[in-house]
Amino acid sequence: MAGSIVVGYDASPGARAALDQALELAAAFGDRLIIGFGVAPPAPVGEEVRAHRQALRDHAEKMTAEALERAQGSGVDVEVALVEDRASSALVSLAAENDARMIVVGSYGERPVKGAILGSTPHKLLHLAERPVLVVPAV
Amino acid sequence: MTEHPSGRDTAAEAGDPGLKEDAIGFVDGLIIGIASTAPAYSLAAVLAIVVVGVGVQAPAVLLASFVPMFLIASAFYYMNRADPDCGTCFSWVTRAMGPSLGWVGGWAVATTGILVIGSLAQVAAYYTFDLFALDALRDSTAANVVFTLLIIAVMTTICVLGTELSAMVQRIMIFLQVGALLLFAVVALVKGGALTPELSWFSPFAIDSLNTLILGVLTGVFIYWGWESAVNLNEETSGSATAPGLAGVLSTVILLVTYVLTTTAVVAYAGLQTIGDFEDDAGIFGALATDVLGSPLDKLVVLAIITSAVASTQTTILPASRTMLSMARQGAFPEAFGRIHPRFLTPHVSTIAIGVIAAVWFGVLFPLSENFVYDSLTSLSLMIAFYYALTGFACAIFYRNELTKSVKNFLFIGVGPVVGGTILGFLFFKAINEYRKVDQSYSGSAVFGIAMPVVLGVGLLLLGVVLMVIWRLGAHDRFFGRNTETVDPEVAAGRKLGVAAVPEEAV
Repeated sequence: MAGSIVVGYDASPGARAALDQALELAAAFGDRLIIGFGVAPPAPVGEEVRAHRQALRDHAEKMTAEALERAQGSGVDVEVALVEDRASSALVSLAAENDARMIVVGSYGERPVKGAILGSTPHKLLHLAERPVLVVPAV
Repeated sequence: MTEHPSGRDTAAEAGDPGLKEDAIGFVDGLIIGIASTAPAYSLAAVLAIVVVGVGVQAPAVLLASFVPMFLIASAFYYMNRADPDCGTCFSWVTRAMGPSLGWVGGWAVATTGILVIGSLAQVAAYYTFDLFALDALRDSTAANVVFTLLIIAVMTTICVLGTELSAMVQRIMIFLQVGALLLFAVVALVKGGALTPELSWFSPFAIDSLNTLILGVLTGVFIYWGWESAVNLNEETSGSATAPGLAGVLSTVILLVTYVLTTTAVVAYAGLQTIGDFEDDAGIFGALATDVLGSPLDKLVVLAIITSAVASTQTTILPASRTMLSMARQGAFPEAFGRIHPRFLTPHVSTIAIGVIAAVWFGVLFPLSENFVYDSLTSLSLMIAFYYALTGFACAIFYRNELTKSVKNFLFIGVGPVVGGTILGFLFFKAINEYRKVDQSYSGSAVFGIAMPVVLGVGLLLLGVVLMVIWRLGAHDRFFGRNTETVDPEVAAGRKLGVAAVPEEAV
């Protein structure tokens, strides 16, 4: 049975490069490609959190639809998964559930300090993931 | 989690399965209940005002103000069950009383949030100068303005980035807050001071004038503001039926004990004369803490106030931005405010808008007003009373078909919220009538002969009405075309979960 690859996608240039790379790898291995997106709002309690969550979901659907379109015609079996979690933990659990070969994400190409201030998903993934992580820079 | 081989979310799945059941445990529930009221900041800002107003009966006023809060919290609890939008009156009032009132309610919620930010940040700035003994900066208007604006900018940025403190840090901060206040209170009471506490201090009936009581309670409402979040955790708290209720009750008890004990201690230790000297600023705690605890323990109280004020700045920006987001998504506000930042996944447009308005408000009012904290708290109290009252009535109206089904329904969903709403509504008009007279206000700032707090509070509500009418004239039928609703009997009986306000739109 073929394996799978999980790719994180947020429409940034890095994420586009990651998606292209992941498609190429999935085609080479004959893997399924899972496009993952974490839809948990930061600070999950408080007022109107549901409105925020719903807005995130709409946003995620737009993003992933765009990714799907990009993946069209690649011949790879692609699916989308929206996970109720922050991006890094969403990708980790998605990969665990599917026993994925690896996780592919794009980088923003930031200096470490900037990444630390803004919150860097690839950086968190490198520490959290229990399987290989491929970080793809924007071209 | 949901997985969609087709790549499209189906409508059924988009209709959120409910918040994660194990999201919040008992201790977190407790922490949120206390954190959302920010006890150290609230006391620092309000104590001198209440004591100057009502004298030794200050503890009684704090107890009395809790009554309408308690009744309104019941409305929040039941409305949240029917429409789990987690706690703002915008979507609830829209459903129960129609879009126009709902819009004004949402406006009141968002503006109170925006307006308190300046006051929070200023208290944080003041006490930070105090902590490092920078007395010259502490007493300089310019330094206060600059530092306050800086705090607002940093906290807004943090909210845009979606950065969160870890649960552990939050817990430590809350324990520090309550611990420092109780330590201060106990030491002050043991040391003894100007006055000996008497039983009559705790009796609202010992206050000789009704007006004094009313104005005291209005200010008291401010210190419990946010407390309703504790009862709104029902769905999100783990341990199903008992844990959230217990966390709510316990956080309330802790809050009441902290408030009443600290107030009693301050009045007894300092006496009315000393406190009277502090009516013009929020600095009373810093000065008294040094007296009572001595160095360096006094810094603990100051630190508690700073953390309380800073943390509240963030927990205030967040819900205010979400109310704007919610309004925008329901077509009640320009669409841009519903935008989500692609990387940080936060409503960045509404968050930045709130930061900017809060900064402008503070920048304009602080140099204008002789007592910024006092003036803005009074106008805030007016607006809070307004939207709490609205929520109370909305609850009874929304559940009107269910009220006669059981005694419990009748009392907790009908009578309680309506009585709470009536008390707050009465306070609202009574306070406008009192504060309108310039000589009645401590601050003395006035516009056209009407005292500043009323000009601000009522003016902003009226501005909301005007904006609502303008928005309505712009023919936003998706929102203003909505009809009023009543609660689904199945939801009311607790057999079914409520659904969020807006049915899922086509994506």
